[in-house]
Amino acid sequence: MNILICLKQVPEKDSHYKIDSSGIGVSDDNLAFETNESDLYALEEGLRLKERVGGKVVALSLGPERVEKVLRNALAMGADSALHVKDENFDGRDAWVTAQTIVAAIPQIEFDLILTGVQSEDMGHGQTGTMIAQLLGWSHATIVTSVDVVDGCSRLQVKRELGGNEFERIELQLPVVLTIQSGINQIRYVTLKGILQAKNKLYKIISTDDLDLESGMIGVESSKVKPQELLVPQKKRQTVMIEGKAEVAAKSLIDRLQKEAKVL
Amino acid sequence: MSDQIIVLGEHSKGQLNDVSLESLSLGKELSKVLDKEVVLVVIGRELDEVAQEVSSRTGFRVIVLTAQKNEYYTPETYCEILYSFLLSENPYLVLVGHSYQTIDFVPKLAGMLKWAFISNCLNYRIQNGQLGWVRQVFNGKLNLRVEIKGSSPYFVSIQQGIFGTSDYNVQVSPRVYHHKLVLPNLPLKRKLIEVIKNVHEKIDLTKAEIIVAGGRGLGSKENFQLILDLAKVLGAGVGASRPVTDSDWLSKEHQIGSSGQVVSPKLYIACGISGAIQHLVGMSNSECIVAINKDPHAPIFQVADYGIVGDLFKILPILTAIAGEMKK
Repeated sequence: MNILICLKQVPEKDSHYKIDSSGIGVSDDNLAFETNESDLYALEEGLRLKERVGGKVVALSLGPERVEKVLRNALAMGADSALHVKDENFDGRDAWVTAQTIVAAIPQIEFDLILTGVQSEDMGHGQTGTMIAQLLGWSHATIVTSVDVVDGCSRLQVKRELGGNEFERIELQLPVVLTIQSGINQIRYVTLKGILQAKNKLYKIISTDDLDLESGMIGVESSKVKPQELLVPQKKRQTVMIEGKAEVAAKSLIDRLQKEAKVL
Repeated sequence: MSDQIIVLGEHSKGQLNDVSLESLSLGKELSKVLDKEVVLVVIGRELDEVAQEVSSRTGFRVIVLTAQKNEYYTPETYCEILYSFLLSENPYLVLVGHSYQTIDFVPKLAGMLKWAFISNCLNYRIQNGQLGWVRQVFNGKLNLRVEIKGSSPYFVSIQQGIFGTSDYNVQVSPRVYHHKLVLPNLPLKRKLIEVIKNVHEKIDLTKAEIIVAGGRGLGSKENFQLILDLAKVLGAGVGASRPVTDSDWLSKEHQIGSSGQVVSPKLYIACGISGAIQHLVGMSNSECIVAINKDPHAPIFQVADYGIVGDLFKILPILTAIAGEMKK
Protein backbone atom coordinates (compact mmCIF):
# COMPACT_ATOMS: atom_id res chain seq x y z
CA MET A 1 0.00 0.00 0.00
CA ASN A 2 1.51 3.32 -1.03
CA ILE A 3 0.68 6.05 1.40
CA LEU A 4 1.08 9.81 1.24
CA ILE A 5 1.12 11.74 4.51
CA CYS A 6 0.43 15.48 4.46
CA LEU A 7 2.26 17.22 7.28
CA LYS A 8 1.93 20.86 8.21
CA GLN A 9 4.47 22.86 10.12
CA VAL A 10 2.92 25.06 12.80
CA PRO A 11 4.27 27.27 15.58
CA GLU A 12 5.03 25.43 18.82
CA LYS A 13 2.14 25.16 21.25
CA ASP A 14 3.58 27.52 23.84
CA SER A 15 4.34 30.26 21.29
CA HIS A 16 3.61 33.87 22.04
CA TYR A 17 2.44 35.74 18.98
CA LYS A 18 3.14 39.25 17.84
CA ILE A 19 0.84 40.62 15.19
CA ASP A 20 2.98 41.97 12.35
CA SER A 21 2.63 45.28 10.53
CA SER A 22 0.27 43.81 7.92
CA GLY A 23 -2.25 43.19 10.70
CA ILE A 24 -3.16 39.80 9.28
CA GLY A 25 0.01 37.84 9.98
CA VAL A 26 2.27 37.13 12.93
CA SER A 27 5.92 38.01 13.18
CA ASP A 28 8.15 34.99 12.53
CA ASP A 29 11.04 36.41 14.52
CA ASN A 30 10.69 34.65 17.81
CA LEU A 31 8.68 31.67 16.69
CA ALA A 32 9.86 28.08 16.84
CA PHE A 33 8.03 25.52 14.72
CA GLU A 34 6.97 21.91 15.05
CA THR A 35 4.88 19.34 13.20
CA ASN A 36 1.13 19.74 13.65
CA GLU A 37 0.15 17.18 16.26
CA SER A 38 -2.65 15.29 14.50
CA ASP A 39 -0.46 15.11 11.36
CA LEU A 40 2.16 13.28 13.43
CA TYR A 41 -0.48 10.78 14.47
CA ALA A 42 -1.34 10.40 10.77
CA LEU A 43 2.31 9.72 9.99
CA GLU A 44 2.54 7.12 12.74
CA GLU A 45 -0.62 5.42 11.46
CA GLY A 46 0.79 5.38 7.93
CA LEU A 47 4.05 3.82 9.12
CA ARG A 48 2.13 1.15 11.04
CA LEU A 49 0.01 0.30 7.99
CA LYS A 50 3.13 -0.03 5.87
CA GLU A 51 4.72 -2.30 8.46
CA ARG A 52 1.63 -4.50 8.38
CA VAL A 53 1.00 -4.77 4.63
CA GLY A 54 4.11 -3.44 2.88
CA GLY A 55 4.42 -0.53 0.49
CA LYS A 56 5.97 2.87 0.91
CA VAL A 57 5.29 6.04 2.86
CA VAL A 58 5.90 9.45 1.32
CA ALA A 59 5.87 12.52 3.56
CA LEU A 60 4.71 15.80 2.01
CA SER A 61 4.86 19.30 3.38
CA LEU A 62 3.94 22.60 1.80
CA GLY A 63 5.78 25.72 2.86
CA PRO A 64 9.05 27.64 2.95
CA GLU A 65 12.59 26.44 3.60
CA ARG A 66 11.93 25.80 7.29
CA VAL A 67 9.47 22.93 6.70
CA GLU A 68 12.51 20.77 5.95
CA LYS A 69 12.63 20.13 9.70
CA VAL A 70 9.17 18.51 9.55
CA LEU A 71 10.15 16.32 6.61
CA ARG A 72 13.55 15.29 8.06
CA ASN A 73 11.75 14.25 11.22
CA ALA A 74 9.26 12.20 9.17
CA LEU A 75 12.13 10.48 7.36
CA ALA A 76 13.81 9.76 10.69
CA MET A 77 10.57 8.23 12.00
CA GLY A 78 10.50 5.88 9.02
CA ALA A 79 8.99 7.56 5.95
CA ASP A 80 10.67 6.33 2.75
CA SER A 81 10.93 9.65 0.97
CA ALA A 82 10.00 13.30 1.34
CA LEU A 83 8.31 15.72 -1.01
CA HIS A 84 8.81 19.38 -0.17
CA VAL A 85 6.43 21.63 -2.07
CA LYS A 86 8.29 24.86 -1.70
CA ASP A 87 6.43 28.11 -1.49
CA GLU A 88 7.94 31.06 0.25
CA ASN A 89 4.80 33.08 0.56
CA PHE A 90 2.03 30.71 1.36
CA ASP A 91 0.54 32.48 4.35
CA GLY A 92 -3.09 33.37 4.16
CA ARG A 93 -4.19 30.83 1.60
CA ASP A 94 -7.44 29.04 2.29
CA ALA A 95 -7.93 25.29 2.46
CA TRP A 96 -9.19 25.11 -1.11
CA VAL A 97 -5.98 26.58 -2.54
CA THR A 98 -3.86 24.39 -0.26
CA ALA A 99 -5.71 21.30 -1.49
CA GLN A 100 -5.31 22.34 -5.15
CA THR A 101 -1.59 22.89 -4.67
CA ILE A 102 -1.05 19.52 -2.99
CA VAL A 103 -3.04 17.67 -5.65
CA ALA A 104 -1.03 19.37 -8.41
CA ALA A 105 2.24 18.41 -6.72
CA ILE A 106 1.70 14.69 -6.21
CA PRO A 107 1.93 11.80 -8.65
CA GLN A 108 -1.56 10.71 -7.62
CA ILE A 109 -1.49 7.48 -9.58
CA GLU A 110 1.16 6.18 -7.21
CA PHE A 111 -0.93 6.35 -4.07
CA ASP A 112 -3.64 4.18 -2.56
CA LEU A 113 -4.09 6.17 0.59
CA ILE A 114 -3.58 9.76 1.72
CA LEU A 115 -3.52 10.61 5.43
CA THR A 116 -3.67 14.02 7.07
CA GLY A 117 -4.39 15.16 10.58
CA VAL A 118 -7.89 16.26 11.54
CA GLN A 119 -7.00 19.94 11.55
CA SER A 120 -4.08 22.30 11.90
CA GLU A 121 -3.36 24.00 15.19
CA ASP A 122 -2.64 27.36 13.59
CA MET A 123 -5.48 27.91 11.10
CA GLY A 124 -7.81 25.12 12.21
CA HIS A 125 -9.86 24.88 9.01
CA GLY A 126 -10.22 21.08 9.16
CA GLN A 127 -11.00 21.01 5.44
CA THR A 128 -7.86 20.31 3.45
CA GLY A 129 -7.97 16.49 3.54
CA THR A 130 -11.59 16.32 2.43
CA MET A 131 -10.98 18.84 -0.34
CA ILE A 132 -8.02 16.78 -1.60
CA ALA A 133 -10.37 13.79 -1.82
CA GLN A 134 -12.92 15.84 -3.71
CA LEU A 135 -10.33 17.08 -6.21
CA LEU A 136 -9.03 13.54 -6.78
CA GLY A 137 -12.51 12.04 -6.98
CA TRP A 138 -11.63 9.70 -4.09
CA SER A 139 -13.80 8.88 -1.13
CA HIS A 140 -12.81 10.01 2.33
CA ALA A 141 -13.53 9.79 6.04
CA THR A 142 -12.74 12.34 8.72
CA ILE A 143 -11.92 12.19 12.44
CA VAL A 144 -10.68 8.61 12.17
CA THR A 145 -9.75 6.77 15.36
CA SER A 146 -8.76 3.35 14.00
CA VAL A 147 -7.77 1.88 10.63
CA ASP A 148 -7.84 -1.79 9.57
CA VAL A 149 -7.01 -3.32 6.22
CA VAL A 150 -9.54 -5.84 4.91
CA ASP A 151 -9.89 -8.02 1.85
CA GLY A 152 -6.27 -8.12 0.79
CA CYS A 153 -5.47 -4.50 0.24
CA SER A 154 -8.53 -3.22 -1.58
CA ARG A 155 -10.57 -1.91 1.31
CA LEU A 156 -10.21 -0.31 4.71
CA GLN A 157 -12.41 -0.55 7.75
CA VAL A 158 -12.17 2.58 9.82
CA LYS A 159 -13.78 3.88 12.96
CA ARG A 160 -14.69 7.56 13.09
CA GLU A 161 -15.93 9.74 15.90
CA LEU A 162 -19.54 10.90 15.97
CA GLY A 163 -19.31 12.74 19.29
CA GLY A 164 -21.05 11.90 22.54
CA ASN A 165 -19.00 8.72 22.93
CA GLU A 166 -20.41 7.34 19.68
CA PHE A 167 -18.42 5.99 16.78
CA GLU A 168 -19.26 4.57 13.40
CA ARG A 169 -17.44 1.72 11.74
CA ILE A 170 -17.39 2.19 7.99
CA GLU A 171 -15.85 0.40 5.04
CA LEU A 172 -14.09 2.32 2.30
CA GLN A 173 -12.87 1.35 -1.13
CA LEU A 174 -9.30 2.41 -1.88
CA PRO A 175 -8.02 4.89 -2.95
CA VAL A 176 -9.15 7.00 -0.05
CA VAL A 177 -8.24 10.06 2.03
CA LEU A 178 -8.49 9.82 5.83
CA THR A 179 -8.12 12.62 8.36
CA ILE A 180 -6.63 11.15 11.51
CA GLN A 181 -7.65 12.13 15.03
CA SER A 182 -5.04 12.77 17.71
CA GLY A 183 -4.70 9.85 20.10
CA ILE A 184 -5.25 7.09 17.50
CA ASN A 185 -1.89 5.52 18.36
CA GLN A 186 1.27 6.11 20.35
CA ILE A 187 3.75 8.09 18.29
CA ARG A 188 7.17 6.45 18.14
CA TYR A 189 10.33 8.17 19.22
CA VAL A 190 12.94 9.12 16.67
CA THR A 191 16.05 6.97 17.09
CA LEU A 192 19.63 7.86 16.30
CA LYS A 193 19.62 5.09 13.70
CA GLY A 194 16.53 6.64 12.15
CA ILE A 195 18.20 10.05 11.94
CA LEU A 196 21.28 8.54 10.27
CA GLN A 197 19.18 6.57 7.77
CA ALA A 198 17.14 9.65 6.95
CA LYS A 199 20.22 11.30 5.50
CA ASN A 200 20.31 8.85 2.60
CA LYS A 201 16.61 8.99 1.76
CA LEU A 202 15.13 10.79 -1.24
CA TYR A 203 14.28 14.42 -0.47
CA LYS A 204 12.53 15.91 -3.45
CA ILE A 205 11.79 19.62 -3.79
CA ILE A 206 9.15 20.99 -6.12
CA SER A 207 8.56 24.70 -6.43
CA THR A 208 4.97 25.88 -6.62
CA ASP A 209 6.09 27.90 -9.66
CA ASP A 210 6.62 24.64 -11.53
CA LEU A 211 3.18 23.27 -10.81
CA ASP A 212 0.52 23.02 -13.43
CA LEU A 213 -1.99 25.23 -11.67
CA GLU A 214 -4.51 27.61 -13.10
CA SER A 215 -2.78 30.98 -13.19
CA GLY A 216 -2.99 32.77 -9.89
CA MET A 217 -3.93 29.57 -8.07
CA ILE A 218 -1.03 30.07 -5.68
CA GLY A 219 -1.32 31.86 -2.42
CA VAL A 220 -3.66 34.32 -0.98
CA GLU A 221 -4.77 36.05 -4.20
CA SER A 222 -6.69 33.04 -5.40
CA SER A 223 -8.20 32.20 -2.03
CA LYS A 224 -11.92 32.72 -1.73
CA VAL A 225 -11.57 33.79 1.87
CA LYS A 226 -9.67 36.95 2.63
CA PRO A 227 -8.00 37.53 6.02
CA GLN A 228 -8.83 41.02 7.26
CA GLU A 229 -7.51 41.48 10.74
CA LEU A 230 -5.93 39.54 13.60
CA LEU A 231 -7.53 40.30 16.93
CA VAL A 232 -6.47 39.65 20.49
CA PRO A 233 -9.30 37.65 22.11
CA GLN A 234 -11.21 39.60 24.70
CA LYS A 235 -10.99 38.37 28.22
CA LYS A 236 -14.23 36.84 29.44
CA ARG A 237 -13.39 37.44 33.08
CA GLN A 238 -11.11 39.70 35.06
CA THR A 239 -8.30 37.47 36.25
CA VAL A 240 -6.61 38.07 39.57
CA MET A 241 -3.05 36.95 38.87
CA ILE A 242 -1.42 35.50 41.97
CA GLU A 243 2.29 36.11 42.08
CA GLY A 244 5.11 34.86 44.22
CA LYS A 245 6.97 31.63 44.90
CA ALA A 246 5.01 28.37 44.88
CA GLU A 247 4.39 28.36 48.68
CA VAL A 248 3.23 31.96 48.76
CA ALA A 249 1.07 31.64 45.67
CA ALA A 250 -0.56 28.41 46.85
CA LYS A 251 -1.39 29.89 50.26
CA SER A 252 -2.72 33.07 48.75
CA LEU A 253 -4.89 31.13 46.31
CA ILE A 254 -6.50 28.99 49.00
CA ASP A 255 -7.02 32.08 51.11
CA ARG A 256 -8.77 33.94 48.30
CA LEU A 257 -10.91 30.94 47.38
CA GLN A 258 -12.09 30.77 50.97
CA LYS A 259 -12.54 34.42 51.86
CA GLU A 260 -13.08 36.24 48.58
CA ALA A 261 -14.75 33.75 46.27
CA LYS A 262 -16.20 31.70 49.12
CA VAL A 263 -16.03 28.49 47.16
CA LEU A 264 -13.96 26.43 49.59
CA MET B 1 -28.22 35.43 -5.39
CA SER B 2 -31.40 35.06 -3.38
CA ASP B 3 -32.05 36.63 -0.02
CA GLN B 4 -32.03 33.36 1.84
CA ILE B 5 -29.91 32.33 4.75
CA ILE B 6 -30.17 28.56 4.63
CA VAL B 7 -29.55 26.79 7.93
CA LEU B 8 -28.72 23.12 7.44
CA GLY B 9 -30.16 21.37 10.46
CA GLU B 10 -28.60 18.26 11.91
CA HIS B 11 -30.89 15.93 13.76
CA SER B 12 -30.98 12.71 15.68
CA LYS B 13 -33.95 10.76 17.00
CA GLY B 14 -36.34 13.23 15.41
CA GLN B 15 -34.90 16.25 17.21
CA LEU B 16 -32.69 19.07 15.97
CA ASN B 17 -29.39 19.00 17.84
CA ASP B 18 -28.19 21.90 19.97
CA VAL B 19 -25.75 23.43 17.53
CA SER B 20 -28.46 23.48 14.85
CA LEU B 21 -30.76 25.39 17.20
CA GLU B 22 -27.87 27.78 17.82
CA SER B 23 -27.37 28.16 14.05
CA LEU B 24 -31.05 29.09 13.80
CA SER B 25 -30.59 31.76 16.49
CA LEU B 26 -27.67 33.21 14.60
CA GLY B 27 -29.68 33.01 11.39
CA LYS B 28 -32.48 34.97 13.03
CA GLU B 29 -30.04 37.62 14.27
CA LEU B 30 -28.42 37.98 10.83
CA SER B 31 -31.74 38.01 9.03
CA LYS B 32 -32.75 41.10 11.01
CA VAL B 33 -29.51 42.97 10.48
CA LEU B 34 -29.17 42.07 6.82
CA ASP B 35 -32.82 41.84 5.87
CA LYS B 36 -32.74 38.22 4.74
CA GLU B 37 -35.07 35.26 5.09
CA VAL B 38 -34.07 32.24 7.17
CA VAL B 39 -34.91 28.81 5.77
CA LEU B 40 -34.22 25.63 7.70
CA VAL B 41 -33.28 22.65 5.56
CA VAL B 42 -33.21 19.12 6.96
CA ILE B 43 -32.41 15.86 5.21
CA GLY B 44 -34.12 12.57 5.95
CA ARG B 45 -37.35 10.77 6.50
CA GLU B 46 -39.94 11.00 9.24
CA LEU B 47 -39.02 14.57 10.00
CA ASP B 48 -42.43 16.07 9.47
CA GLU B 49 -43.18 16.42 13.15
CA VAL B 50 -40.00 18.31 14.01
CA ALA B 51 -40.32 20.38 10.81
CA GLN B 52 -43.86 21.47 11.73
CA GLU B 53 -42.86 22.22 15.30
CA VAL B 54 -39.81 24.31 14.40
CA SER B 55 -41.62 26.17 11.66
CA SER B 56 -44.56 27.17 13.84
CA ARG B 57 -42.29 28.15 16.74
CA THR B 58 -39.82 30.20 14.68
CA GLY B 59 -41.93 31.39 11.78
CA PHE B 60 -39.22 30.13 9.41
CA ARG B 61 -39.87 28.13 6.30
CA VAL B 62 -38.67 24.53 6.62
CA ILE B 63 -37.69 22.35 3.68
CA VAL B 64 -37.39 18.61 4.15
CA LEU B 65 -35.20 16.90 1.57
CA THR B 66 -35.56 13.20 0.94
CA ALA B 67 -34.09 10.90 -1.63
CA GLN B 68 -35.18 7.46 -2.73
CA LYS B 69 -32.32 5.92 -0.85
CA ASN B 70 -30.85 7.78 2.03
CA GLU B 71 -31.04 5.26 4.81
CA TYR B 72 -27.91 6.53 6.39
CA TYR B 73 -25.58 9.48 6.15
CA THR B 74 -22.58 9.28 3.88
CA PRO B 75 -20.79 12.36 2.55
CA GLU B 76 -21.52 11.18 -1.00
CA THR B 77 -25.30 11.01 -0.55
CA TYR B 78 -25.57 14.24 1.43
CA CYS B 79 -23.44 16.09 -1.11
CA GLU B 80 -25.45 14.70 -3.99
CA ILE B 81 -28.74 15.68 -2.34
CA LEU B 82 -27.57 19.18 -1.45
CA TYR B 83 -25.57 19.96 -4.57
CA SER B 84 -28.44 20.46 -6.99
CA PHE B 85 -30.73 21.88 -4.32
CA LEU B 86 -28.28 24.58 -3.26
CA LEU B 87 -27.31 25.34 -6.82
CA SER B 88 -30.90 26.13 -7.69
CA GLU B 89 -31.64 28.01 -4.45
CA ASN B 90 -28.47 30.08 -4.84
CA PRO B 91 -28.71 31.41 -1.26
CA TYR B 92 -26.93 34.35 0.29
CA LEU B 93 -25.31 32.12 2.89
CA VAL B 94 -25.46 28.55 4.21
CA LEU B 95 -25.06 28.21 7.98
CA VAL B 96 -24.21 24.94 9.68
CA GLY B 97 -23.10 23.95 13.15
CA HIS B 98 -19.48 22.84 13.42
CA SER B 99 -19.92 19.13 14.11
CA TYR B 100 -18.53 15.67 13.44
CA GLN B 101 -20.93 15.38 10.54
CA THR B 102 -20.59 18.79 8.90
CA ILE B 103 -16.78 18.69 8.94
CA ASP B 104 -17.11 15.34 7.15
CA PHE B 105 -19.18 16.55 4.19
CA VAL B 106 -19.27 20.37 3.91
CA PRO B 107 -15.68 20.72 2.59
CA LYS B 108 -16.55 18.24 -0.17
CA LEU B 109 -19.81 20.01 -0.97
CA ALA B 110 -18.04 23.38 -1.00
CA GLY B 111 -15.51 21.89 -3.40
CA MET B 112 -18.26 20.55 -5.68
CA LEU B 113 -20.05 23.90 -5.78
CA LYS B 114 -16.79 25.90 -5.82
CA TRP B 115 -18.15 27.93 -2.93
CA ALA B 116 -15.98 28.95 0.00
CA PHE B 117 -16.33 27.40 3.44
CA ILE B 118 -15.40 29.43 6.52
CA SER B 119 -15.29 26.81 9.24
CA ASN B 120 -15.48 26.92 13.00
CA CYS B 121 -16.52 30.55 13.54
CA LEU B 122 -16.92 32.22 16.91
CA ASN B 123 -18.74 35.34 15.83
CA TYR B 124 -19.63 37.64 13.00
CA ARG B 125 -18.78 41.29 12.45
CA ILE B 126 -20.33 43.77 10.12
CA GLN B 127 -17.79 46.36 9.13
CA ASN B 128 -18.26 48.93 6.35
CA GLY B 129 -21.42 47.13 5.36
CA GLN B 130 -19.51 43.89 4.80
CA LEU B 131 -20.35 40.74 6.73
CA GLY B 132 -17.19 39.19 8.16
CA TRP B 133 -16.51 36.21 10.39
CA VAL B 134 -14.28 35.78 13.41
CA ARG B 135 -12.39 32.51 13.73
CA GLN B 136 -10.02 31.26 16.35
CA VAL B 137 -6.46 30.78 15.15
CA PHE B 138 -3.11 29.79 16.68
CA ASN B 139 -4.58 27.49 19.31
CA GLY B 140 -6.98 30.11 20.57
CA LYS B 141 -4.33 32.73 21.24
CA LEU B 142 -5.58 35.02 18.48
CA ASN B 143 -8.75 35.53 16.49
CA LEU B 144 -8.84 36.27 12.79
CA ARG B 145 -11.57 38.24 11.07
CA VAL B 146 -12.10 37.08 7.52
CA GLU B 147 -14.34 38.16 4.69
CA ILE B 148 -15.45 36.46 1.56
CA LYS B 149 -14.22 37.61 -1.82
CA GLY B 150 -16.71 38.08 -4.58
CA SER B 151 -20.43 37.63 -4.32
CA SER B 152 -20.92 33.89 -4.59
CA PRO B 153 -22.80 32.05 -1.84
CA TYR B 154 -20.64 30.39 0.82
CA PHE B 155 -20.77 28.12 3.82
CA VAL B 156 -20.11 29.07 7.43
CA SER B 157 -19.89 26.65 10.33
CA ILE B 158 -20.23 27.93 13.88
CA GLN B 159 -18.69 26.66 17.07
CA GLN B 160 -21.11 25.07 19.51
CA GLY B 161 -22.07 26.81 22.75
CA ILE B 162 -21.71 30.43 21.64
CA PHE B 163 -24.93 31.74 20.12
CA GLY B 164 -27.46 30.24 22.53
CA THR B 165 -31.01 29.37 21.59
CA SER B 166 -33.48 32.16 20.87
CA ASP B 167 -36.95 32.77 22.18
CA TYR B 168 -38.99 33.43 19.08
CA ASN B 169 -42.31 34.41 20.65
CA VAL B 170 -44.14 33.55 17.50
CA GLN B 171 -46.77 30.95 17.00
CA VAL B 172 -47.76 30.77 13.36
CA SER B 173 -49.04 28.12 11.04
CA PRO B 174 -46.12 26.02 9.95
CA ARG B 175 -44.75 26.29 6.44
CA VAL B 176 -43.15 22.95 5.63
CA TYR B 177 -42.18 21.90 2.12
CA HIS B 178 -41.05 18.48 0.99
CA HIS B 179 -38.61 18.01 -1.84
CA LYS B 180 -38.16 14.48 -3.11
CA LEU B 181 -34.99 14.07 -5.10
CA VAL B 182 -34.06 11.39 -7.55
CA LEU B 183 -30.41 10.62 -7.15
CA PRO B 184 -28.19 8.98 -9.74
CA ASN B 185 -26.85 5.58 -8.74
CA LEU B 186 -23.73 6.48 -6.85
CA PRO B 187 -20.96 3.93 -6.64
CA LEU B 188 -20.95 2.77 -3.05
CA LYS B 189 -17.43 3.67 -2.04
CA ARG B 190 -18.18 4.19 1.62
CA LYS B 191 -20.63 2.13 3.59
CA LEU B 192 -21.71 1.98 7.18
CA ILE B 193 -21.09 -1.22 9.07
CA GLU B 194 -22.24 -0.30 12.55
CA VAL B 195 -22.64 2.50 15.04
CA ILE B 196 -20.82 1.80 18.27
CA LYS B 197 -21.73 3.40 21.55
CA ASN B 198 -18.92 3.22 24.05
CA VAL B 199 -20.40 2.29 27.36
CA HIS B 200 -18.14 2.77 30.27
CA GLU B 201 -18.79 3.04 33.91
CA LYS B 202 -20.50 6.39 33.96
CA ILE B 203 -18.71 9.17 35.72
CA ASP B 204 -21.08 12.09 36.14
CA LEU B 205 -19.08 15.25 36.69
CA THR B 206 -22.06 17.54 36.12
CA LYS B 207 -23.06 17.23 39.77
CA ALA B 208 -19.61 17.79 41.27
CA GLU B 209 -19.29 21.02 43.29
CA ILE B 210 -15.56 21.15 42.75
CA ILE B 211 -13.61 19.78 39.80
CA VAL B 212 -9.84 19.53 39.59
CA ALA B 213 -8.84 19.05 35.97
CA GLY B 214 -5.47 18.31 34.41
CA GLY B 215 -4.11 18.77 30.91
CA ARG B 216 -1.11 18.12 28.74
CA GLY B 217 1.06 20.16 31.09
CA LEU B 218 1.13 17.23 33.53
CA GLY B 219 3.43 15.49 31.09
CA SER B 220 2.75 11.85 32.01
CA LYS B 221 0.33 9.39 33.53
CA GLU B 222 2.47 9.13 36.67
CA ASN B 223 2.42 12.89 37.15
CA PHE B 224 -1.36 12.93 36.82
CA GLN B 225 -1.38 11.51 40.36
CA LEU B 226 -0.85 15.14 41.51
CA ILE B 227 -4.34 15.97 40.18
CA LEU B 228 -5.88 12.91 41.80
CA ASP B 229 -4.27 13.81 45.14
CA LEU B 230 -5.58 17.37 45.16
CA ALA B 231 -9.04 16.20 44.05
CA LYS B 232 -9.09 13.67 46.86
CA VAL B 233 -8.40 16.13 49.68
CA LEU B 234 -10.92 18.58 48.24
CA GLY B 235 -13.55 15.88 47.74
CA ALA B 236 -13.60 17.00 44.11
CA GLY B 237 -14.36 15.32 40.81
CA VAL B 238 -11.48 14.67 38.42
CA GLY B 239 -11.59 16.20 34.96
CA ALA B 240 -9.23 16.15 32.00
CA SER B 241 -8.66 17.81 28.67
CA ARG B 242 -8.54 15.82 25.49
CA PRO B 243 -4.78 15.18 25.22
CA VAL B 244 -4.92 13.46 28.62
CA THR B 245 -7.60 10.96 27.63
CA ASP B 246 -6.03 10.55 24.18
CA SER B 247 -2.81 9.48 25.87
CA ASP B 248 -4.70 7.16 28.24
CA TRP B 249 -3.49 8.90 31.37
CA LEU B 250 -7.13 8.86 32.40
CA SER B 251 -10.23 7.21 30.93
CA LYS B 252 -12.40 9.01 28.39
CA GLU B 253 -15.28 9.60 30.85
CA HIS B 254 -13.26 12.26 32.61
CA GLN B 255 -12.98 14.41 29.51
CA ILE B 256 -14.45 17.90 29.80
CA GLY B 257 -15.41 19.77 26.65
CA SER B 258 -17.31 19.54 23.41
CA SER B 259 -16.54 15.85 22.97
CA GLY B 260 -16.88 15.14 26.69
CA GLN B 261 -18.94 16.48 29.56
CA VAL B 262 -20.17 20.05 29.93
CA VAL B 263 -19.90 21.14 33.56
CA SER B 264 -20.48 24.24 35.67
CA PRO B 265 -19.26 23.53 39.21
CA LYS B 266 -18.77 26.07 41.98
CA LEU B 267 -15.01 25.76 41.57
CA TYR B 268 -13.04 24.54 38.57
CA ILE B 269 -9.28 24.24 38.94
CA ALA B 270 -7.58 23.86 35.55
CA CYS B 271 -4.00 22.66 35.81
CA GLY B 272 -1.70 22.52 32.80
CA ILE B 273 -4.67 23.01 30.46
CA SER B 274 -4.00 25.50 27.66
CA GLY B 275 -7.70 26.14 27.05
CA ALA B 276 -8.57 25.09 23.51
CA ILE B 277 -12.09 26.24 22.61
CA GLN B 278 -13.27 22.62 22.71
CA HIS B 279 -12.31 22.53 26.38
CA LEU B 280 -13.59 26.02 27.21
CA VAL B 281 -17.11 25.30 25.99
CA GLY B 282 -17.21 22.47 28.52
CA MET B 283 -16.30 24.49 31.61
CA SER B 284 -16.43 28.25 31.06
CA ASN B 285 -19.77 28.57 32.87
CA SER B 286 -18.24 27.41 36.14
CA GLU B 287 -18.85 29.82 39.02
CA CYS B 288 -15.17 30.28 39.87
CA ILE B 289 -12.30 29.24 37.62
CA VAL B 290 -8.68 28.86 38.68
CA ALA B 291 -5.99 28.40 36.03
CA ILE B 292 -2.49 27.21 36.78
CA ASN B 293 -0.20 27.14 33.76
CA LYS B 294 3.40 27.84 32.88
CA ASP B 295 2.43 29.73 29.73
CA PRO B 296 1.19 33.22 30.66
CA HIS B 297 -0.48 33.54 27.24
CA ALA B 298 -2.48 30.32 27.45
CA PRO B 299 -6.11 31.01 26.46
CA ILE B 300 -7.34 29.39 29.69
CA PHE B 301 -6.48 32.70 31.41
CA GLN B 302 -9.14 34.42 29.28
CA VAL B 303 -11.83 32.69 31.35
CA ALA B 304 -10.05 32.47 34.72
CA ASP B 305 -10.99 34.34 37.91
CA TYR B 306 -7.67 33.45 39.51
CA GLY B 307 -4.47 32.65 37.70
CA ILE B 308 -1.07 31.39 38.69
CA VAL B 309 1.73 31.35 36.16
CA GLY B 310 4.12 28.75 37.43
CA ASP B 311 5.33 25.24 37.86
CA LEU B 312 2.55 22.73 38.52
CA PHE B 313 4.92 20.23 40.02
CA LYS B 314 5.79 22.65 42.79
CA ILE B 315 2.39 24.26 43.30
CA LEU B 316 0.11 21.22 43.25
CA PRO B 317 1.75 19.31 46.17
CA ILE B 318 1.65 22.47 48.29
CA LEU B 319 -2.01 23.11 47.45
CA THR B 320 -2.77 19.51 48.38
CA ALA B 321 -0.94 19.87 51.68
CA ILE B 322 -2.69 23.13 52.61
CA ALA B 323 -6.10 21.80 51.57
CA GLY B 324 -5.39 18.67 53.65
CA GLU B 325 -4.64 20.79 56.73
CA MET B 326 -7.71 22.89 56.13
CA LYS B 327 -10.01 19.87 56.06
CA LYS B 328 -8.76 18.56 59.40
